[in-house]
Amino acid sequence: MKSQKRKDAFAKLTGKCRFLDDYTVPDMLQGYIIYTTIDRGWIRKINFPAGFDLQEFTIVSASDIPGKNIVPEPVNDQPFMTSEVVDNFGQVILGIAHPNREILKKFISLTRIEYERRNAVTDTKECLDNEANQFGEIMHLKHELAPTYNLRHLWKWQQIFYTQHQEQAYLEPQGMLAEYNIEKEEMKITGTMQCPFFVKDAVESIMGKAVKNVVIETSEGIGGAFGGKEDFPNLLAGVTALLAWKAQKPVKIVLDRKDDLLITTNRHPSRVDIIAIMHDQNGFISKIDIDYRLDAGAFQTLSPVVLHRGILHATGGYNIAEVKIKGSLHRSNTPPNGAFRGFGAPQAIFAMESFIDNVAHRLSISPLRLRQLNLLKTGDQLPTSQIVTENHLQDCLDRVVQLSGYKKKFTDFQEYNKTNTVKKGIGLALGLHGGGYTGNGEKVLQSRVKIVLEKNGMVNIYVANVEMGQGAHTTLAQMVNSIFKLPPEKVNVVIPNTSQTPNSGPTVASRTIYVVGNLLQKLAERIKSELGFADLKDHIAKNQNSFPQSFEEVFVPDPADDFDDITNQGVAYHDFSWAACVVEITYDPDLYQIRVDKCWNVLDVGKVINEGIALGQVYGGVVQALGWALTENIYKKGYPRLSGFTDYTLPASLDIPEIKVEFIHTNSPVAKGLGEIPMDYPAPAVRNAFLQATGIMINELPLTPERIFAAQGRSKK
Amino acid sequence: MIELKFTVNSEEVAITVAENLRLLDILRDELHLTGTKEGCAVGECGACTVILNGEAVCSCMVLACQVQDAVIETIENCDTDPVLQILQQAFLECGAVQCGFCTPGMLLSAKALLLRNPAPTEAEIKKALEGNLCRCTGYIQITEAVKQAARELAESK
Ligand code: FES
Ligand code: FES
Repeated sequence: MKSQKRKDAFAKLTGKCRFLDDYTVPDMLQGYIIYTTIDRGWIRKINFPAGFDLQEFTIVSASDIPGKNIVPEPVNDQPFMTSEVVDNFGQVILGIAHPNREILKKFISLTRIEYERRNAVTDTKECLDNEANQFGEIMHLKHELAPTYNLRHLWKWQQIFYTQHQEQAYLEPQGMLAEYNIEKEEMKITGTMQCPFFVKDAVESIMGKAVKNVVIETSEGIGGAFGGKEDFPNLLAGVTALLAWKAQKPVKIVLDRKDDLLITTNRHPSRVDIIAIMHDQNGFISKIDIDYRLDAGAFQTLSPVVLHRGILHATGGYNIAEVKIKGSLHRSNTPPNGAFRGFGAPQAIFAMESFIDNVAHRLSISPLRLRQLNLLKTGDQLPTSQIVTENHLQDCLDRVVQLSGYKKKFTDFQEYNKTNTVKKGIGLALGLHGGGYTGNGEKVLQSRVKIVLEKNGMVNIYVANVEMGQGAHTTLAQMVNSIFKLPPEKVNVVIPNTSQTPNSGPTVASRTIYVVGNLLQKLAERIKSELGFADLKDHIAKNQNSFPQSFEEVFVPDPADDFDDITNQGVAYHDFSWAACVVEITYDPDLYQIRVDKCWNVLDVGKVINEGIALGQVYGGVVQALGWALTENIYKKGYPRLSGFTDYTLPASLDIPEIKVEFIHTNSPVAKGLGEIPMDYPAPAVRNAFLQATGIMINELPLTPERIFAAQGRSKK
Repeated sequence: MIELKFTVNSEEVAITVAENLRLLDILRDELHLTGTKEGCAVGECGACTVILNGEAVCSCMVLACQVQDAVIETIENCDTDPVLQILQQAFLECGAVQCGFCTPGMLLSAKALLLRNPAPTEAEIKKALEGNLCRCTGYIQITEAVKQAARELAESK
């Protein structure tokens, strides 16, 4: 069957779709920010350049804030703007607006800030190795079933894994347009964001009682997000609103690429220390102790939530009787890290999947056999005591092994590498990802959705979840229309606007289809049975007086899904998506260069609503993961800061391997989470393929030629 | 200031602008052709790609004085251009559009390729799109779409 075409594609293919920078309103000022350019210290003086008429500029600083100078987050510790203390590079000091962009840019480039510097922590290892940098709540997850030790064959092994920052690198930089209506005392924000209701809270926080009403709308097009437009928009919208309020004119800020790259949130660097006790011959793991640390940056903001997801995914797809996991945040003087596709899981899974291959390598057994021996199966318990009810991870593994010809290639490559300088490698990795908010998150959110049946026969869907490229608005409309059975163009998702849209929660955590979509489908079914129609078009035509009619539904969690936030025991995720991956590489030892040749992915994401869109999510996620595995890196000790895509190397068309994707168990009634899981497993698969090719264990990302060169030197000694 | 005459999407344009203006600014701010996007401003992302005298270029790297008498094509030409339309249809069918921010630039790079090489191999397609970053799609469906468009163009001749 052919997939339904995307609803937004036509506007995007003709260039007519309006992204934030395409919006202009009468009298609009160009806005920008001035931010801290040292890592830690104090601001001593701000020197504006001579030769400009300051009257023409609107300038705001922390002292102009009528409300609170705190960005609302799970932990409220980050100020919108700073006036004295500097905790990280990239803190906003001033917002500035002027009618002319050239003059504004010139003024900003000539403004000088004087600082007094203090020692700062910016290197991720320095941050994560030192327990003195720990801050915030420490999380524990313990689970003890009677382990089946074979006392004569005990082997204890410890390994530490590190991963680096990663920039979301959505192609459209972040931007906000703020319009203040003086009569209504209403602040309207239009912008690039994943979570309109978070932005609303933020603008209400910074503006306090100075404005009566805050309305947030997303721009028509959002040029990618991947988590990067989850929490930074709160800060940017706050500063833009403040400028518009002070100027009493509309203000638009669109970040330059370089600034977007340097000051917005990134993926958290991690340090994962694994100690396992296992059988010294077959590698059966009976006990594991994991110390999972994230570099949060200078403020905690939403990092505890990332940490939580991280520890809940830390044992990966393995069944281990005795588990002890400790999760902690560490503070550095880099910009606060935030959400990025996978949200703590890719770091955890990188460590666990790499550990498994290291064990296999040390014991000289097949990585596949080792996985099969320790795999989670029906009836097994996750560390949260949640019982696994399906063998789908095993099915993914079996299928990917078959599709890729893993077994034969594994031995073929071993032979090949004996006589060839250029090496071949094949690597396996498993992935799992819980759908929706963690633990009690969905209970607290209580998402609401609305469907309006219009007089003219159109069906309008109101949800707060945004279309940022992932195809959500097409897929959601399709889910509703699977009940209504109208021509596709009759059913549409309305652009989220907080004054009309119920709060169906943020566009994060693989929850849009899984939580909001399934809720919409439930509402559509209810509408159908309440109105009792066979043909909706007919029904509306014959009962014109009763339309438009509006219907709402609230998310009710399964009462059996109980989760204890203190002990971390219970049902953390109602459903998991599962995946298995095989990657084939070529390694050139003269250039220290890995080339990924092929990547096979087998996933169980439940029902697939739109195959074209679902495939696009997997391809995109895999390629992002390959970038993380091989090239993408932000902070390198002793190197200058990044200047853009020149030195932050994203995968380009020429770097793309052959990627094969298969979805299994698609006859499921439920569409599970899909957006994040393709980010979780490819990086360790590449790393494991490199281990197979060379016998060199590298427990860090990215696998750049520099790192491989250094490791090769070590392994020769 | 500089007086410029050039053609955009088959229309003659006469305009006086500051010399240091980039072609991207002329298109977006002066002519209100906002289909051309700015993703990096330094010639690294390709979102601002237009066709200038038959070649795909990053309009953020072209200065006003370089477009005197030039023939320029932007995504807005798709209303009448059959090659762009075939490409659009193929992008739609192959699922090559996600966020859409790279899309206009991709289409123009692809068109420039098909103009000089109507039957490109997969490697040639990847090479031609090398300067156009896409963070959403992983390029697979985009490459497919260009292949499909090339096939259709060949058939339509
Ligand atoms: S904006 Fe011109 S190449 Fe990126
Ligand atoms: S579709 Fe989003 S960058 Fe290409």
